[in-house]
Amino acid sequence: MKEELEAIQTEVLQALKQINTQDQLESLRIEYFGRKGKFTDVMKGMGKLSKEERPILGKLANEVRSSLSDAFETAKTELDCKQQEQQLKAESIDITLPGRKPTLGKAHPVMQVLQRTEEIFMQMGFQVVTGPEVETEHYNFDALNTPPNHPARDLHDTFYLTDGHLLRTHTSPVQIRVMENQQPPVRIIVPGKAYRVDYDVSHTPMFHQVEGLLVDRHVTFSELKGVLVSFARQMFGAQTQMRFRPHFFPFTEPSAEVDISCTVCQGKGCRSCGHTGWIEILGAGAVDPEVFRAVNYDPEQVTGFAFGMGVERIANLQFRIPDIRTFYENDLRFLHQF
Amino acid sequence: MNITLNWLKNYIDFDFAAEQLAEKLTMLGVEVETIKQLGVALDGVVVGKVISIKPHPNADKLVLCQVDIGKKDKLQIVCGAPNVHDGMVAPVATIGTELHSGVFIKKTKIRGEESYGMLCSENELGISPDAAGLMELSPELSIGTPLTEALGLDDTVLELEITPNRPDCLSLIGVAREVRAETGNELKHPQIELNESDTEIQDITSVTIDAPELCPRYAARIIKDVKVGESPDWLKQRLESVGIAVINNIVDITNYVLMEYGQPLHAFDYHKLNENRIVVRCAAEGERITTLDEYERKLTPDMLVIADAEKPVAVAGVMGGHETEITDSTRDVLLESAYFSPSSIRTTAKTMGLNTEASYRFERGADPENVIPALNRAAQLIAELAGGTLCKGIVDVYPGKREPIQITLRPERVNFILGTELEATEIEQILSRLGFGIEMVQQEGRDQEVAPTEDSVFQITVPSFRVDITREIDLIEEVARVYGYDNIPTTLPKGDIPVLVPNKLTEVRRRIKNFLLSSGMMEAINYSFVHPNCFEKIRLSEDNPLRDALKLQNPLSPEMSVLRSTLIPSLLNNAQHNHNHQINNIALFEISTVFVQDKEPARVSGILAGEIGDGVYGNPYKHPDFFDIKGIVEGALEVCGITDYAFKLTDEPTFHPGRNAELLLDSKRIGILGEAHPEVLENYELPYKAYLFELDLNALAGATDFAKRFKLIPIYPSIQRDLAIVVDKEMQSDLPIDIIYSTGGKLVESVKLFDVYVGDQVAEGKKSLAYTIMYHSATETLTDKAVNDLHDKVIRKLNQELNAELRM
Ligand SMILES: [Zn+2]
Repeated sequence: MKEELEAIQTEVLQALKQINTQDQLESLRIEYFGRKGKFTDVMKGMGKLSKEERPILGKLANEVRSSLSDAFETAKTELDCKQQEQQLKAESIDITLPGRKPTLGKAHPVMQVLQRTEEIFMQMGFQVVTGPEVETEHYNFDALNTPPNHPARDLHDTFYLTDGHLLRTHTSPVQIRVMENQQPPVRIIVPGKAYRVDYDVSHTPMFHQVEGLLVDRHVTFSELKGVLVSFARQMFGAQTQMRFRPHFFPFTEPSAEVDISCTVCQGKGCRSCGHTGWIEILGAGAVDPEVFRAVNYDPEQVTGFAFGMGVERIANLQFRIPDIRTFYENDLRFLHQF
Repeated sequence: MNITLNWLKNYIDFDFAAEQLAEKLTMLGVEVETIKQLGVALDGVVVGKVISIKPHPNADKLVLCQVDIGKKDKLQIVCGAPNVHDGMVAPVATIGTELHSGVFIKKTKIRGEESYGMLCSENELGISPDAAGLMELSPELSIGTPLTEALGLDDTVLELEITPNRPDCLSLIGVAREVRAETGNELKHPQIELNESDTEIQDITSVTIDAPELCPRYAARIIKDVKVGESPDWLKQRLESVGIAVINNIVDITNYVLMEYGQPLHAFDYHKLNENRIVVRCAAEGERITTLDEYERKLTPDMLVIADAEKPVAVAGVMGGHETEITDSTRDVLLESAYFSPSSIRTTAKTMGLNTEASYRFERGADPENVIPALNRAAQLIAELAGGTLCKGIVDVYPGKREPIQITLRPERVNFILGTELEATEIEQILSRLGFGIEMVQQEGRDQEVAPTEDSVFQITVPSFRVDITREIDLIEEVARVYGYDNIPTTLPKGDIPVLVPNKLTEVRRRIKNFLLSSGMMEAINYSFVHPNCFEKIRLSEDNPLRDALKLQNPLSPEMSVLRSTLIPSLLNNAQHNHNHQINNIALFEISTVFVQDKEPARVSGILAGEIGDGVYGNPYKHPDFFDIKGIVEGALEVCGITDYAFKLTDEPTFHPGRNAELLLDSKRIGILGEAHPEVLENYELPYKAYLFELDLNALAGATDFAKRFKLIPIYPSIQRDLAIVVDKEMQSDLPIDIIYSTGGKLVESVKLFDVYVGDQVAEGKKSLAYTIMYHSATETLTDKAVNDLHDKVIRKLNQELNAELRM
């Protein structure tokens, strides 16, 4: 009997090595440990053993059963692992197939730049305000210290409506409208469309401007410089240099044109900047006392500054589109680039 | 305006190179736009003299020249020009020269004879297209001098942009004054010495001003027996270098003095003036004049003219008359120097469509005190360069003489405005360099001060040429620009940040834009102007107020001649443009104001057409339909927090009559959407359906409420019941929903339509609608029985009201 048990142990261990499936494992288990299994049969012979043999063989039988039970358990676990492995392998996919991405739209490039500009000024406490695009001579020119016959009107090729109104040539009229309705302090930016009779590779008859205005009891030219330098560093990068050149606008005094160091050559001089190292980006200045008088502010009691910039111009410093009329064709191949 | 470096040096000393000068002027506000070196390609070209000529032994058409270029050894140069002759002075390109054409001059053998340079034509030097023969130079030139120097080409032209407020800078002396502000060097005014004859000018002419408001000053001189002819080279060269056409010595001189002083002058042929006298007056009704450009022009009574005893002979300050102009036969010249009122000149020039050097300066403001110096300077040059004798004296009629402007300047105000800490003495120095008169005014109750301090007050006298300076702030700008904007400190605002007022329209616009972008639509921006036929193209009904669009008086083209009252035509144009370029996945939106009568409401509009989606495996292209556009509109409303709206079919001709809707909020239309009518598609040449919407953003902003409050999360479970009913095919699917809500009351949490079926399973003319109803109570757990009873009630009600059959 001892021999039989030892033979079973050897046989089973041998057989387990050949097992590949759970089914085979189960039939092997039944072959030896089922009700008519070989081990069960051997154990039925236990009763015939002598008293002396019984505990010895009983112990041996338990050892065999226990070790084979462990062997079965191990084989089962191995089979489970193998099976899962196979299943996962079968479930493999081609991960290079495209993801199911929601189709995304894109904001118009001019709007992207406009939005960035708004964000920068809002961080400095400027409120976004808008105003009408159809304007009167009064708001577009007169109240901005540009009376009829002023040569500065030549610089604005104006679209007139048949009813005598005009399309604003800049966003500056909104300065007047805001100051008429609000007491200082005023700290606003005015994004919006403006119009001039101009149509070539660098001009569109409609364009976007951002106007800024800060009025308070004591606002200085040096603060104008501070706000614009801060804007330029955020918009064009921390190394951006800024240059203020005296200029003329009827509604500011002193007035300045403002250049930034060329974004292409970093100020060394190249074709984009006409070899000067500088690129003009905006006009600015201290609010002219006549403008304050037009809105019933007392120029001895308040001072302020204003600035205005062309959004297309700033956008194109980055995009370098040879014909800016492309902005308004709304060709999807163009819009998708930004 | 152009100036040259050497010319400028006639009026002030400075050591700046062209680039430095350009930088300084630009930072003073006189922007230098370009810098151009004259005669750059002439390095190595010198003045040479042909001292002998021999025939070339091996070539009939060539000769061997011995050329003197001012050195000990004469050069042998082989030459083939037809006009070469003994004693000729001509330009010589010496060995090592690279001509502008790229030709490099080296020692060569031509047909066996050595040649040490090249005698040049104007064409070869790039001076003119003339290639007929060698350029013949004046025999007076010193042999061996570089050609650039000999021709006055060793100079640099600066192109200046003068802002409209600075007419005083429209001259070389004006620019020299700016250089003085920078350097402090004194101006060098032209030395004027006049030899007058005994003929008194008063005896032979007179000037009458009938319109002193428009002509505050008019002065004249007469020069007799001039010889009209070509100007000397130096004068021609000067004018040409700054881009002024050379005409004859008299006219050239007036232009030269114009450039020097900024004072426009005009020369009349004295004998062609009727009664030899001048009357400054307004034109009479019906008068005409033929101007120098030989156009006959109509004059109106608001135009100032210079007339003789009988008729106009010049349009004052704008252009002279053809009849009295200087010609080769002119003997005696009446020279005009005057000051005209800027607005009068501006109106006349504008009406006539003329913009001349003279009108440009007068309309910006000339200097009345410049009239006599410029007149004398021109008289002197005419006497020198055109011969002639100068009559004694000047006729100077000056009815409009004005006292200089006086301004009080507070140095403390300068620093207040600029944010600087300038000393009063610095301010004083800057202003005095600019030519301002400065006097310190004693403050009451103060001791006599030795030097100005920040508390001093200056009394400033404005020089007559600074027409732009009338106020204290103008003086502050002068201080700022000369002190240097770059020297002003850079600080951040110290003032309080104003209270920001939230703006609902801005927020609605932002939310809808973000939603549309994440829905896969691209943002478009179109011009505000459209073709007036666009209303016809989108089939707006005759009485639609949107047709009443604002018109431009001066449109660029018919395509851009009226202001749009709706965004839809612009987006259809964009669809057409893209389709024409074989791009057919059209999903575009635009957010903009439109123009409706005197209002500018804000709109959002969108279009879906062709194939939408990415067109990749997993997200293939699909044709949009009505429910895509409706879903977009519903999403836009949702992001604005608007729920209480309704859709209703309309008869808007823009759309398919059975596939459109208006969006109603409080039974007011706030938007419209639908499938474009086939004729609209045809008008925009679109071969596929297009779905459009347009919403009124102002109405949305008015209805929205972004304030959010917490609602209790349901404690008791919801119970779901599905329901399928068969109804008439034409019935709207939202009718049962209304009935379910009204019947179930508070216990109906939500109703969703989840299926619509038409086909074999239901009778002809019928459809099946399937809904999921969630029942829920806020106060207890609903029992099955309670739900069943309620659900049965709902079914009965649907049957009664809509004749709906329960589908099993
Ligand atoms: Zn550059």
